[in-house]
Amino acid sequence: MKTRTSLIALTAVALASAAHADEIRVLNWQGYGTDLDWSLEAFEEATGHTVVHEYFNSEQEMLTKMRTNPGAYDVVLINAAYTTQAYDEGLLAPIDTSAIDNYAGVPANFAEDPALMHEGKVYGVPWTWGLTAIAINSNSFDEAPTSIQVLWDPAYKGRVSIRDDAEEAVHLGALATGQDINNIEDLDAVEAKLAELMPQLRTFWSSENDWNQFMAAGELDVASYWSGSAARSAGMGLPVDFVVPEEGAIAWLDGLSIPETSEHKEAAAQFIDWMIDPEFYVQWDEEGAPASANAEAAAALPDDAFNKRVLGDPDVAALARFRAPMDDETRETYLALWQSLKAAQ
Amino acid sequence: MAQVAHASDRRRLFALLSPAYLWLTLAVFLPLSAMLFFSVLSDMPGADGGWGLTLGNYAAFLENPTYSTLLWKSLKLGATVTFFCVIIGYPCALVLAKSIRGRSREALFLLVILPFWSNSLVRIFSWAIVLRGNGVLERALNWVLPFDIRLNLMFTTEAVTIGLVHSYLPYVILTSYLALQAIDDDILDAARSMGASKLTILRRLLLPLSLPGLLAGAVLVFVPVVGSFMEPRILGGRMGTYYGTVIEDQFVAVYNWPLGAALSFILLAVVLVILGAASPALRKART
Amino acid sequence: MTLLALAGRVWLGLVLLFLYAPILMMAAMSFNASPFYQLPFEFSTKWYADMAGNDQIIDAALRSVLIAFVVTAIATAVGTAASIALFRYDFPGKRVLQVLLFPPIAIPWLITGTAMLVFFFSIGIGRGTPAVIIGHVALALPYVIVTVTARLSAFDVTLEEAARSMGAGQWTVLRRVTLPFIAPGIVAGGLFAFAVSFDQFVVSYFLSKPGDTTLPVLIYTAIRKGFTPEINAISTIIITVSMAVMFLAARKSNFGGDR
Repeated sequence: MKTRTSLIALTAVALASAAHADEIRVLNWQGYGTDLDWSLEAFEEATGHTVVHEYFNSEQEMLTKMRTNPGAYDVVLINAAYTTQAYDEGLLAPIDTSAIDNYAGVPANFAEDPALMHEGKVYGVPWTWGLTAIAINSNSFDEAPTSIQVLWDPAYKGRVSIRDDAEEAVHLGALATGQDINNIEDLDAVEAKLAELMPQLRTFWSSENDWNQFMAAGELDVASYWSGSAARSAGMGLPVDFVVPEEGAIAWLDGLSIPETSEHKEAAAQFIDWMIDPEFYVQWDEEGAPASANAEAAAALPDDAFNKRVLGDPDVAALARFRAPMDDETRETYLALWQSLKAAQ
Repeated sequence: MAQVAHASDRRRLFALLSPAYLWLTLAVFLPLSAMLFFSVLSDMPGADGGWGLTLGNYAAFLENPTYSTLLWKSLKLGATVTFFCVIIGYPCALVLAKSIRGRSREALFLLVILPFWSNSLVRIFSWAIVLRGNGVLERALNWVLPFDIRLNLMFTTEAVTIGLVHSYLPYVILTSYLALQAIDDDILDAARSMGASKLTILRRLLLPLSLPGLLAGAVLVFVPVVGSFMEPRILGGRMGTYYGTVIEDQFVAVYNWPLGAALSFILLAVVLVILGAASPALRKART
Repeated sequence: MTLLALAGRVWLGLVLLFLYAPILMMAAMSFNASPFYQLPFEFSTKWYADMAGNDQIIDAALRSVLIAFVVTAIATAVGTAASIALFRYDFPGKRVLQVLLFPPIAIPWLITGTAMLVFFFSIGIGRGTPAVIIGHVALALPYVIVTVTARLSAFDVTLEEAARSMGAGQWTVLRRVTLPFIAPGIVAGGLFAFAVSFDQFVVSYFLSKPGDTTLPVLIYTAIRKGFTPEINAISTIIITVSMAVMFLAARKSNFGGDR
C-alpha cells in the first residue's frame, strides 16, 4: 500500500535525522487543512517536528507578510494565481521534489502548471483545487438551475449574494457574458452585466462564516460559493446544493511553497509531503476539504464523497476555467470598476 | 494658564510632555511619515523595480468621482452618528451626573461603560442577529403588536447607523458626564434660588459649562466613524460601501499602498479642516 | 420625584436597554445549540464545554487581558502627565501638539497598523508582545489625553494658586489639589485605554508573533472559516467577570465621584 510505505519512509527519514526536531512555521488561511490538531499530532509523532501557524486574511496580506518578515515562515500556502508574483519578487525557494514521495501522485497538468514551475524548478507543490460557482438553498428550488443566469433571475430578486471581491465579481460577469475569464475582451459588457446584478443582491458575503449564517437565517436563495465550502456547509446540515453552471466555473489551484528565507527547508518539505499524503487527505475530507491535487489522494476517497462525486466528474472538470496570474494593473482596473459599481448603490 | 517663562517651568513642561509625544513619535508619527512617503510614490518599491515620486495618487482622488462620492457619504454618516450619540448620550449624562446620587450612580456609570469592553466584532454580529429579517427584533415586535410588520432593517444604512451609535455612544456619555459632574451644585442652587427655570439653568449654565466635555466626546465619535469599515461592511450589505472600505480594499485586495495611504491622508486633512472650521463657531457658542 | 427626574430615569433605562441589547444577544447565543446562530433558541452548554477545552482561546484571552492592563497603566500615567502640561502651560507650538493627537484616531487603524509593521521591522523592534504594547499605548494615548483634558477644562486654576500661596510646593499642589480633582477623568481615560487595547485587532494582528495571538485577532482570523459560539461563551465570561470586578472596585472607591 502506497500510503503506508510513504508514512514509513517519512518516519525513517525522521529517525535518520534523529533529534533534529524543528519548529515549522506555516502561513495559511485559518482552518485550511494545515492546522488540524489530529494531523499535527501525528506529524510530530512521525517526524519530531512541531508546527506553529500564522494566518492571513487575503492574498495581498500573505505577500506582505512574506516580504516584511524574512525567515519567519517555512511553509506558505499560495494560490497559483499569485505564485509567479512571489517567485518574481525572489520570495520563494526551489523545492527538492525528490524529498517528497507523494509528489509522484500529482498529475502533470497540476505539477507542470506554468505558475508553479519556473526554469524547470518547482516553486509550489500543488495541494488542493476547487471551483467558485453557485450554491443554492435547496428548499427554494424544485429543480436545480443549470445556468449562471439564475443570479439575474427576477424571481430571486433580493435573495442573491456574491462575494465582495472585485476579481471574483468580474470573473462571474465574464462567464455570464460568455467571455474567457483570463482574457476579457469586452469589459464594458461585464460592467453592464454586473450593474444589472446589483439590485438583485441582498448583501455581499466575505467569508464562509457570513455565507453560512446568511443561508441559515434564510436570507438567501442563491449565491456564489466555493466548492469545498459548499460541501462543508451541506455536511453541517444546511440545505445547500452546489451547482456548476453550463457557462463554466472559476477554478483555482492552491500550492504549498517554501520561502527563500526559510531556515528549516528540509522539515518544510517533509510537512508538504505530509499534506499531500492520501491517508491524511481522506481523513481531512471527512471534515470537509477542497479537492486534492494529488490524483492518488482523490482516488482514495469513498465513492459518495462530494470531491469524488462532483469534482471527480469529467463533465464538471471540463467546465473548470483556471485562474491565470494577473498583473497589478488589471487587478486595479477590476477593483476600480467594482468600487464604482458599489459606490453607485 | 501660565506662560512658560522660567527655565524650571520649561524643564517641568518638557518632563511632563516628552514621554507621551516621544511615544507617539516612535509608534505613530514616524511610521505614518513612512506612509506619507509611500503616498507620493508611483509604485511600491520592490514590487516591480521602478518607482518614482508623483502626486498622481492624490490626483486620483480628484479624477475618480467614486472617492469623493464615498467621502461625502462617510462624512454624512459621521455627522448622523455623532448627532444621535449627542442627543441620546448627553441627556443620559445629565441624569447620571445631576439627578442620581450615591452608590447607584457609580453602578449605573459602570453599566454604561461595560458594553465597551466586549469585542466589537462579536457585538456587530450580535446586532446582525437582532436586526436581520425574522430576527429577534422583528419577532419581539410581532409578538407585542397585533399586526404583522416587516422591518427589513438588516443591510441598510439604518443598520450601519445603529451599530455605530451603539459602539460610540459611551464616549459621549462619559466625557459629558465628567464635565457635568465637575460643575458645582452650589452654582445651580444659587441660580435656582434666584428663580431661574430648569430650562434656563440647562441653557445658560449646564450646557456652556459642560460643552468642552460634550465636544471632546463628539470629536471622539465623529473622527473614527468617518474612517470606519467593519460596521458598514457587515451591517450595511449592499449599501455598506464607504470611504473606509475603499481604503481597506487598496491595502487588502490590491497591493496599492501608495493610493491607500494617499486616500487616508486626504481623509485626515478633510477631518482636520472640518474640526478647524467648526472650532471658532463652537468657541463662540460657549461665551 | 419630579416628573422630569422620572423622565430622565426612563431615558437612562432605555439607553441601557439599547446598550445591552447586543450584549444580551451575545450571551443568549452562547447558550444556543446552533453553530450558525440559528433561531429558534435551543438551550445547550456545549459551547462552554468546547471553550474550556480550547487552550488557544483561553491563552489568547489571558494574553489580551494582560496586555490591556499594561497598556492602561502606561497610557494613563503618560497621558495624564501630558494633559496637565497642555492645560497648565502656554507655549509656542501647543496647538500643533494638540492637533497631532488626531492622526492616531482619524487614520484608519489598518493603515496605522501596516505602517507600524513596516517601521518596527525596519528599526529592529520586530514583532511580539512588546511591539503590540508599544502600538496599543500609542493608540490609547490620544483618548486618555482628550478625556483628562476635558475634565481639566472645568478645573479652577485659582485653587492651585490658593494652595501655593499657603506655602504648598508644586508637588504637593499636584498631589493634593489637581490630581484629586481630575481623578474621575483619569479613571475614565483608563477605561477607554483598556477598551482600545482589549478590542484592538488590527494592530495586534500585524504586530503579534505567530502563536502569541490575542483574543480579538483570534476572532478576526476565525471569521473566514466561521467562528462558533465558543467566542460568545468566552466573551460572556469576560464581561461577567469584568462586571463583578468593577462593582467590587466601585464599592471600595468613590470614583463616580461625589466631591
